Amino acid sequence: MANQPSMSRALARRENIAGYLFMLPSLVFFIGFVVIPMALCVYTSFFDAGMDRNTPDVFVGFANYAELWKDAVFLKALKNTFIIVFVSVPVVCVFSLWVASAIYRMKESIMSLFRIIFYLPVVTGSVAVTVVWKWIYNNYYGVLNYVLKGAGVIDRNINWLGDQRFALWGIIIILLTTSVGQPIVLYVSALGNVDATLVEAAEVDGATDMQTFWKVRWPLIMPTTLYILVITTINSFQCFALIQLLTSGGPNYATETVMYYIYYAAFKLYRFGYGNAMGVILAIFIGLLSALQFRLAKEK
Amino acid sequence: MNTGVKRVTAYKVVSVILLILFAILFAFPLYWIITGALKTPAAINATTPEWIPHEFTLRNFQVLFTKRSAPLYELPIPFTKLKVLGATAPAAIRWLLNTVFMAVMAMLLTCVTAAAAGYALAKKRFRGRYVIFSLIVAAMALPKQVILIPLIREISALGLYDNIWAVIFPTVGWPFGVFLMKQFSEGIPGEMLEAARIDGASELRTFTSVVVPIIKPGIGALAIFTFINSWNDYFMQLIMLTSNSNLTISLGIATMQAENSTDYGLIMAGAALASVPIIIVFLIFQKYFTQGITMGAVKG
Amino acid sequence: MKKFLAIALALVMVLGLAACGGTVTSTEDAAPSANDAADGAATSITLWTYPIGGWGDEATVKSLTDAFTAETGIAVTVEYLTYADGDDKVNTALTAGQGPDLIMEGPERLVANWGATGYMVDLSDIISPDDISELNVAAMEACYAPTGEVYEYPLVMTAHCMGVNLDAFKEAGADQYLDLENHTWTTEQFIAAVNALEEHFGGAVGAVFCGGQGGDQGTRALVNNLYEGAFTDPDHTEYTWDSEENIKALKTLYDLKGIEFNPAIAGGDEIALFYNETLKMAFCWNIAQQLNPNSADTGAGKTINGSEIVFMAFPCEDNIRPVQLQGGIWGFGIFDNGNQAKIDAAKQFIQFMCDSEHTIDAVRAANFFPVRTTVNAWSDNEIMQEYNKLMPMLGDYYQVTPGWAQARTAWWNMLQQVGQSDGSEAAIKAAVEQFCAEANAGA
Repeated sequence: MANQPSMSRALARRENIAGYLFMLPSLVFFIGFVVIPMALCVYTSFFDAGMDRNTPDVFVGFANYAELWKDAVFLKALKNTFIIVFVSVPVVCVFSLWVASAIYRMKESIMSLFRIIFYLPVVTGSVAVTVVWKWIYNNYYGVLNYVLKGAGVIDRNINWLGDQRFALWGIIIILLTTSVGQPIVLYVSALGNVDATLVEAAEVDGATDMQTFWKVRWPLIMPTTLYILVITTINSFQCFALIQLLTSGGPNYATETVMYYIYYAAFKLYRFGYGNAMGVILAIFIGLLSALQFRLAKEK
Repeated sequence: MNTGVKRVTAYKVVSVILLILFAILFAFPLYWIITGALKTPAAINATTPEWIPHEFTLRNFQVLFTKRSAPLYELPIPFTKLKVLGATAPAAIRWLLNTVFMAVMAMLLTCVTAAAAGYALAKKRFRGRYVIFSLIVAAMALPKQVILIPLIREISALGLYDNIWAVIFPTVGWPFGVFLMKQFSEGIPGEMLEAARIDGASELRTFTSVVVPIIKPGIGALAIFTFINSWNDYFMQLIMLTSNSNLTISLGIATMQAENSTDYGLIMAGAALASVPIIIVFLIFQKYFTQGITMGAVKG
Repeated sequence: MKKFLAIALALVMVLGLAACGGTVTSTEDAAPSANDAADGAATSITLWTYPIGGWGDEATVKSLTDAFTAETGIAVTVEYLTYADGDDKVNTALTAGQGPDLIMEGPERLVANWGATGYMVDLSDIISPDDISELNVAAMEACYAPTGEVYEYPLVMTAHCMGVNLDAFKEAGADQYLDLENHTWTTEQFIAAVNALEEHFGGAVGAVFCGGQGGDQGTRALVNNLYEGAFTDPDHTEYTWDSEENIKALKTLYDLKGIEFNPAIAGGDEIALFYNETLKMAFCWNIAQQLNPNSADTGAGKTINGSEIVFMAFPCEDNIRPVQLQGGIWGFGIFDNGNQAKIDAAKQFIQFMCDSEHTIDAVRAANFFPVRTTVNAWSDNEIMQEYNKLMPMLGDYYQVTPGWAQARTAWWNMLQQVGQSDGSEAAIKAAVEQFCAEANAGA
């Protein structure tokens, strides 16, 4: 019995060493290409640093941060970023749940056809998809105006990406088409896995369709929903390509996002320090959002 | 009961019609890319859309393949400053090769590192695991724009700028894979690990012969996810690659689009080349794709 | 297993495509990499070029660089930039400390941007007094930094202008407003023509494109000329586009039914819309485009439906100030990457292209006019001879004003805000003043 503590100490050491060794390859990349750059980002955000070789970087403390809150463009970009996330995340979830519940009881071949079609924009790639959407939204002969005019919804062409009232929504719609593919696949299989006897039991008890859905299916697909929330949130922050290729943040900053504004500050305004300060702020917001999501996930 | 059936049918009809409309919307960009690539310049520039091409031409692909050229491959000879250059080929083919190489390498490296790290986080009780896991969760949704400037400088200091590895490494460092693998590894029964240890299996052997077979579906999901993400990660490619012969297909097409904005047919041919190969791969393996993705969601 | 299948399949597909591409020519050959010892002479240099006429075309450029390599033994690797993302690309590379050796563009980037931020090499030592006497004075002047260094060796120049669809003008009866002999028109004639076209065709006939990225010279010249405004002060120290004349010009453009402020398109898109006859006039036009056949191959100076395109100066008020066209000047600059051997090789390259018997080929490749007055590149070309009529209308080259990169960006944002406003004079004035102040903050 005397050697019991030392046994567990040896065990603990073995666990520690094994743990670190298994973590090592991943940590090399994670620390090297995420953590270190992030630390440098925080560091540079306290400097007035730029491209100019002739002027050295100057330490300015929190001046970059102070300026951010007075920068109308940054505030607009922050607002747009959150509009994109808070609109697209729920819409993606609801839309994909609707599609999934409509197709999961269909014939295998038809269901998989639908599943493929809704997944197509994901595999087509944002750059290729952008080329087509640019044409769909075209002010002069774009197909959207053509169809809407033909249907009598509008009577004159709308410059979808060139009008500050519509541009952000135009971007969000493209983002949605490239986001729902995976959630649909996930929901289809989650719904398929719901135990049929539970549903039948509820129906025998006289529950309506809506009731069986909310009382039986919804709780059972909850883990899937949470997972979808996480990946859709991640995805919504990755809308850089759409904005860079379609609107460059315009018109009149209507589609400016923090992600694009960081790039813009660095390479159009040559203000590295300022751009990094934006990055830090965005990282803080995203950290809070993630924490919130995980708190939510834990509670459920 | 009768009315209930009727109501369900009416709902079904409406939802099927809506589904078909949405399916058309989702399939349209790809249809338009493929037909556009085969249209004559006159047809593609027509101000009323030509829904079904009247005349097919390979002219756009001819232009695409003769516009830029690059050696088909480049192999540096170790310990010398020499490299072997492949035959001169259309640059678009080289871009495609680069992209395949990039996506496959990112996929392999991510799977290996993330599987090991995820297992360690879930099953090894080493010190600091909570800190590491929190960091990973916090960084998961972080857009890469945040670390734009520091990352460029770091990559350059490593001598990797304008090198395909400059895109691969940060992708591998992105911690979503570790998170996913950790969720998976939670499901490994502790008794199996215990049994392996009693049998005297080394840590590595336990990992390869017990852990990996159990989390294989998860690895499959991660592989698909990483492959598509890396293929579509336009931003990292944009900031890291400059030489014609190092471009990826997305980047090459974006450049071509900027360069020849008057030649829409050429752009469509480029978009087709960028998307059709990956779509063919997807169609052939779509069963595994959907299976893999689904397995990825057993846990939230 | 499925992973490997996927890889194998992708590879097979790619190789299959390569076999169909049809330009596979030689077998493998070993080439020395781009690394050179710092002490020896450089054996290779890199050139990044913007699409300056034929300098954006791989086959054309290759024949020029091959001639250079044959003479000097220095290999040249060329990368082709676009106006949409070229600046970002160069800036990224400079941030990474991996800029190219040579860059081809105009003083607005080479002098005002990368020269001013300390990335360029002074070229004074390869420009002799003899050279200066042979080079166009205005073009050469634009290549000097305020501190006296020369950051660009100019090769070609042109005047930017407008293109109009003559057949459409005739159809709408608007050709009466064009002076086809001198290629000029007045502000009143321009307004009358736009209205006539708008009445005949309906919708927008011209677009003030402001999606950013390239073609800014067109919108600047349009606004500045309508009522004799100026973009900067004569000393190039301050941006003055908040003047009354410019505000009046913007208001006029806003009020014209046939002119649309369109932030969804950039200069290149405008040309595409002009080629397919959606727009009847283009503000982003120049001689290289006049000479260049379109994608449908209906010939130079033709739309894709074969309508005739004529070039015009920008409209200006009669009898007040002659029109001032925006100059385009293009040449070479050298980035200081700390390798003297590369810098010397790059200088050799510049002299080969700008100061030798090969200069005529380099000029003709660009489809623009030579800066070196002794080079007679275009005596055999009628269109170029005709275009020469615009050259005396060249105005001040103000693109070297400090803070130019920021000013260009502010200009786009200003146009976007004007276009999105209600068009009242107060709203336009507010937008102009806000962004002009932003531009001046960078000056």
